[in-house]
Amino acid sequence: MADDIVFELLHSEIINYALEPSKNSNSSKEVDLSVVEYIGFAAGYKIMERLTREWPRFKDELDTMKFICTDFWTCIYKKQIDNLRTNHQGVYVLQDNAFRFLTNFSNGHQYLEYAPRYVAYTCGLIRGGLANLCINSIVTAEVQSMPSCKFHIHVQRT
Amino acid sequence: MAVCVAVIGKDNSPLYIGGIGNDTSTDNELSRQWLVHTALDALEERLATTNANNASASANAARTDLRDLYLGLLYSTDTHKIYGYVTNTKIKLVLVTSSTSPSGSNIRDAEVRTALRRLHALYADAICNPFHLPGDQIISQKFDKQVKSLMLNNV
Repeated sequence: MADDIVFELLHSEIINYALEPSKNSNSSKEVDLSVVEYIGFAAGYKIMERLTREWPRFKDELDTMKFICTDFWTCIYKKQIDNLRTNHQGVYVLQDNAFRFLTNFSNGHQYLEYAPRYVAYTCGLIRGGLANLCINSIVTAEVQSMPSCKFHIHVQRT
Repeated sequence: MAVCVAVIGKDNSPLYIGGIGNDTSTDNELSRQWLVHTALDALEERLATTNANNASASANAARTDLRDLYLGLLYSTDTHKIYGYVTNTKIKLVLVTSSTSPSGSNIRDAEVRTALRRLHALYADAICNPFHLPGDQIISQKFDKQVKSLMLNNV
């Protein structure tokens, strides 16, 4: 599908653009991805209003997470989350076995050091979506072997 | 005939209040705000009972109804009726009808429901405007125009 590839290419160009300032500095290990995360946050925040328009009111937090795993993920990545785990105390782990931004890179450990760049946007996307549903959270990602990816959501309770 | 609609944010701050009509008592900003805010307590109450009902696992027929975004008639005064709608993102949409005007006194619930659903669609479009920051007042003239025509035509 043409519209899918447009999104993927735009995403990778945003990453390249955001990395531009840190290329000049010699510390090649450290890259600043907060801009990418923020772009994701803003997009997630706005898209949520649309996606939940026809949806009945969410019962609780778990219900909201299920929505993220099914409808939200399908809308953006054309597939559902493969595995959702929670400790029922505000920590959720979402596992995607074939994360779309990583599927084209490798089937193993090659390019593994660059993988975090391509999950920052999605972390922001989840965080923004949840923020609009009044759930403040910290979202981190973990890539052990491409193309599978785990997103950890820590809900901040006040 | 709707005389006023309002969009209230997550923290109960007004994002947009618009009104039309020749009804002089509502033709100024202050009375509009007052009308809309009288309904907010009733709205919160309605939401709280929704959550309580869901927490207790009493499976009854009303439960599916309570999960509806449209909350129905919230409050009525001698001259006005106030209807509410709360989105999943905790944005409150309030619609006020005048019961003194002939078209407003016998308004049907289904009409209000469709009007509020359409208002929600307009709001979602306005939010997606990149110049609008979340939590800010909606100053889009396009949104204003669309809402005014919604008030005139639909209800």
